[in-house]
Amino acid sequence: MDCAVALTTQAANMPVSEEPLLDVRDFSLRRGQAVVLDGVSLALQPGETLGLIGESGAGKSTLALALIGLLRAPEVQLEGSLRFRGTELTRLKEADYRRLRGNKIGLIFQDATAALNPCFTVGQQIAEPLKRHLGLSKWDRRERAAELMHSVGIPEPRLRLDAYPHELSGGMQQRVMIAIALACNPELLLADEPTSALDVTIQAQIMELILDRVRELNSSAIFVLHDLALGAQVCDRIAVMYAGQIVEEGPSERVLAAPLHPYTRGLKSCVVELGSRTLVPIPGQVPPLDAMPAGCRFAPRCPKAKAICGEQRPRAEIRDGRQVACWFID
Amino acid sequence: MSDALNITATPDSQWKRRFLQPLLRQRSAVAGLAIIVIYVVAAVFAPWLATHDPTAQDLMASLQGPSAAHWLGTDSYGQDLYSRLLYGAQLALIIGFASVALGLVVGVAIGLAAGLMGGRTEWVLMRIVDGLLAFPELILAMAFMAVLGLGTENLVYALALSFVGPFARMTRGDVLQVKNQPYIEAARLMGVPTAAIIWRHVLPNVVSPILVQAGMRVSIAILLESGLSFLGIGVVPPTPDWGLMIAEGRAFITMAPWISGVPGVALAILLVALNLLGDGLRDAFDPTTQKDA
Amino acid sequence: MQEPIFSLLDVERTYELRRPGWLNRAPRQLKALDGVRLDLQRGDTLALVGESGSGKSTLIRLMLGLEPASDGRVLYGQRDLAQLDAEEKKRFAREVAFIYQNARGSMNPRMRIADILAEPIRLHRLCAESAIAERLAALLDRVGLPAGLLQRFPSELSGGQIRRVAIARALAAEPQVIMADESVAGLDVSVQAQVLNLLRDLCRESGITLVFITHDLGVASYLCEKIAVLYLGRIVEQGPTDAILNTPRHPYTRALLQAFPRFDMPLKASLSGEIPSPVDLPKGCRFAGRCPEAQAACRESDPALTAFDAERQVACLFPVAGAQ
Repeated sequence: MDCAVALTTQAANMPVSEEPLLDVRDFSLRRGQAVVLDGVSLALQPGETLGLIGESGAGKSTLALALIGLLRAPEVQLEGSLRFRGTELTRLKEADYRRLRGNKIGLIFQDATAALNPCFTVGQQIAEPLKRHLGLSKWDRRERAAELMHSVGIPEPRLRLDAYPHELSGGMQQRVMIAIALACNPELLLADEPTSALDVTIQAQIMELILDRVRELNSSAIFVLHDLALGAQVCDRIAVMYAGQIVEEGPSERVLAAPLHPYTRGLKSCVVELGSRTLVPIPGQVPPLDAMPAGCRFAPRCPKAKAICGEQRPRAEIRDGRQVACWFID
Repeated sequence: MSDALNITATPDSQWKRRFLQPLLRQRSAVAGLAIIVIYVVAAVFAPWLATHDPTAQDLMASLQGPSAAHWLGTDSYGQDLYSRLLYGAQLALIIGFASVALGLVVGVAIGLAAGLMGGRTEWVLMRIVDGLLAFPELILAMAFMAVLGLGTENLVYALALSFVGPFARMTRGDVLQVKNQPYIEAARLMGVPTAAIIWRHVLPNVVSPILVQAGMRVSIAILLESGLSFLGIGVVPPTPDWGLMIAEGRAFITMAPWISGVPGVALAILLVALNLLGDGLRDAFDPTTQKDA
Repeated sequence: MQEPIFSLLDVERTYELRRPGWLNRAPRQLKALDGVRLDLQRGDTLALVGESGSGKSTLIRLMLGLEPASDGRVLYGQRDLAQLDAEEKKRFAREVAFIYQNARGSMNPRMRIADILAEPIRLHRLCAESAIAERLAALLDRVGLPAGLLQRFPSELSGGQIRRVAIARALAAEPQVIMADESVAGLDVSVQAQVLNLLRDLCRESGITLVFITHDLGVASYLCEKIAVLYLGRIVEQGPTDAILNTPRHPYTRALLQAFPRFDMPLKASLSGEIPSPVDLPKGCRFAGRCPEAQAACRESDPALTAFDAERQVACLFPVAGAQ
């Protein structure tokens, strides 16, 4: 509960007129004929944490990759706008993107073992962005790397500077990734399933660590998650994605406590909680990209679908402090 | 329900989908296959297609160029080159396939035994295989021909022996990989007898790269066979053999180039065709080059 | 009380690790399991819960007879698994089915689903050859898959479908016990819910004994009536699911519950540090190093799993008191 209290105070402190840190407007991404992301809109204020939630194939990771410029033309076609601190990202040159990535935008991947280079020591890998973006001297880099390792809770950081990734446990590797991501004090942190390979007790440690560091730096963060309950615990806002669209987006305590969109409701009734008695699966499957329904993409699986749902795509409406894309919001 | 009742329904179309279609997509492989089919037809129907007895000597008609009587000319003994060419194809294909088949059976058996039993058995078997692999195929086959003596049958044994090593090594490698797959353990847990595990679960999963390899080895076998005969330690003259024919023609290369040229060109075309087919087979079925199963 | 279908008597499993180098080659011992005691009654549904490295997978391999116990005994009915004769082994293979975590990997990629499912049926001659087709259709129907899948290969099925096929294969031999290793991990929530419901219905309808390995306490509580929590190769707490959820008695169980993500509670990192290496275990309680309530005595003596009340056993010198 104190989580929610912290949120409201934070929201109250925020100047409303300020331009959002990240502003996604009607953003679409096509791969050939397939529309992978369809009209995604969301805004992230400085200091906010946002959770992208949905099943595999919902387009959460695609959106994250597009944000950091790892999915670009000609591989895919982008439409709409992605603005980060007022800069239009869709038209950014690769060289400028490189100045952003690892500097103003930090990245944490799901599989730390795969993301860390096995040939370099963790000290070298943490120092890399310090050299590239901040131009620190060798001695300063080492000092700062040790500081960063200490700040992410790695015991005896000076000894571990010269360790290779495989010499560390999965949890420790994830901490190293966080240290790299936070090395240049990013304004936005992007974390793609940062803890899904870890045990729950370690997951809690890592999530707490990320949140603490993000708050300390007054950065924003976007988490790609599949665990709704975890989303409720760590995110200020939640965007529920289905088949490349955002179906519901708003403050996490509202979206998850009293979901309005039938898909969010369905998702929540599938979540296994401690002592769950019944789980109600959503019938059917996510439609393949080349056979998306014309109207609402969730209509074929929706218990409330009527004729109009199959014909016309619902516009996102603001209701109860959140945007919901459904014809029949009650 | 009706679907379920036909468990073995349309094996034919399935076979097409899984084996024929991927192969037919490889254009060069189809070309190779067509050439090989022509050779096989020539070899099978040699008795009917030949115009002369391949070993009938006619010294009066020696060293003749192509003519109506001798389509591709004659050699120094007056033997008809066209007929010898046809029977030579027969011999080359028989030796090629027989030696590879024999080498494959023995090699796969050794590889399976080594891979599955492990321990001391594996160590002993693989050291023997290492011994075989230490020599180039040609040297090994030569040594065995020297021990066994000349002759078609001995040539097959000698070539087969030189192929045992590669097949054994490859099979063992694949078996070691497959052996640790969960489905092998799952079968063991269900109580599937060992023989059935090997036959049903191990072999089908190692067999396709081995068959691809076998296809490529046939061309090596034919080349080696011709080489050995050329060197005079293969089949015995006057058997119609391409290697022998090339060797015979060597002395007359300036006067009657067709004696060496005809079998030489025939050999080259067959080898290219076999290699095209072999590459096609590999691209179609080898899991490492396959895009999606 | 009827006799247990499985009983583990102080089971231990150690692996010897050779040190690299020529000098000092005295092997070190990795204790994957240490003094595990467990009784499984017919019809029980038991979840083995623990983090990676807790020994839960080793435990199930021992119970399946895939690995021998280094010490102690694993009994199936009255018989020691290590001493089964050929006939008993065959019966064991039929009566105890295992569902792999890697469902796709546990199926021969070159066999069709029909042949995969028919294999145990043919093997144990459960029905005439002519009746197999009908039987396969019934099996698929039971796990909620269309019969059209019979002609497919494992690689052509989705993650949810392949797990259902794995369940169908486990059911094919009409087993008495099903053991399953993380059978819903890595699935999307809606598919996970479907598979969980399927497993739960199967156990309820047919009275199959289920042993389910999971790291997810929520899944454990949904599927199973009993839970055994493992930590570093030992069961630290076991008892009925509701009791364990409501009043955990071992600090580790409590920490696991607190770390579990919930809608109604803030995030809480309940434990510091990581699970230590099972090589060279410290003296005393193995959880003492991370336990928030460790006392001097905890570092001296190693608590055994003892009865806490009628249903619950806890391995802790100072069990957590009162309601959570």
